[in-house]
Amino acid sequence: MKAIGWVARLTPFDCKLLIVVTVLVALSFLLPLSQGAGARVVVSSDDRIVFVAPLDKDQRVELDGPLGITVLQIKNGAARVISSPCSQKVCIHMGEARHTGDLLACVPNQLVITIEGDSDGEDAEYDFISR
Amino acid sequence: MEKMRNMTSSAVDPLELEQVRRRVFLALFVALAVALHTVEVLLPNPIPWFRIGLANILALTALFSYGIQALWIVSISRILIGSLFLGSLFSPGFLLSLGGGIVANILMSFGYRLWQNKIGPVGVSVLGALGHVTGQLLIAWLVVIRHPSIWMLLPFFLLFALISGIVNGLAADYLLGSLYRHSAFSGLKSNYEQSKYPIKEGT
Repeated sequence: MKAIGWVARLTPFDCKLLIVVTVLVALSFLLPLSQGAGARVVVSSDDRIVFVAPLDKDQRVELDGPLGITVLQIKNGAARVISSPCSQKVCIHMGEARHTGDLLACVPNQLVITIEGDSDGEDAEYDFISR
Repeated sequence: MEKMRNMTSSAVDPLELEQVRRRVFLALFVALAVALHTVEVLLPNPIPWFRIGLANILALTALFSYGIQALWIVSISRILIGSLFLGSLFSPGFLLSLGGGIVANILMSFGYRLWQNKIGPVGVSVLGALGHVTGQLLIAWLVVIRHPSIWMLLPFFLLFALISGIVNGLAADYLLGSLYRHSAFSGLKSNYEQSKYPIKEGT
């Protein structure tokens, strides 16, 4: 009964709008999910790429940022931040990144960790790395 | 109607009275929005960048009582005064807030104008909430992190915005419902009531 109570406060148009918007939001989730497992980890800081590594090789990396050292762990095909000098630790709570396009960001320490695919088609970026 | 006005204000021009009321209520809405915003920031937050945006309740109330101009006055004043209180004026966080607010206002104004008399507070609120996260992400992408991957966060932001938009819209709906029972609002051409109780043809 309570669940119906709030629906009664909507105008008929609101109901239609809500349904359309809910469907659109649900569809937006499918976009990133369609990406497969990633191939490499790319870390950029302040628009510059500071570190690139394959995802299938387990290792620990210490990344330098304005606040100090952020430790990135690559294990079992996934990357995660395990320690960071920032105050909110958002990057640690973001968990694992393993799919193409996944993103871990530590804004205070100005580090952005992204996962790129093997055949990403982003040749421009790859050229930039290999330069 | 005329009788009631004369009762509340003898010898005052009704138009002038309405203007004074509008000014007073808008000031009150801004003050309440700033207070709600400040309380919300002080509350412990399970997800650091997620906020319900309670201040938008007052912006919605202003929109449905006094129109689109009032919406912009309340929300932009809230962002400026609120960030002044919290000491974040002109910081990156302020830019995010302003960008989100502007995109949200544009969407809410369009929705309100386009579907006038049909859309209710919940519909406008959801449009505003979705606009807010999109605007914030846009600013974040332009100013803070210049990387297209940031858009991968958008679906999660949109989902949270959808929920908070519905909650805010319902809160604004309750507030408007009780405000309109008061005689201070009786003189207004109420878009809220028209959307709620449309005049049926033939009756």
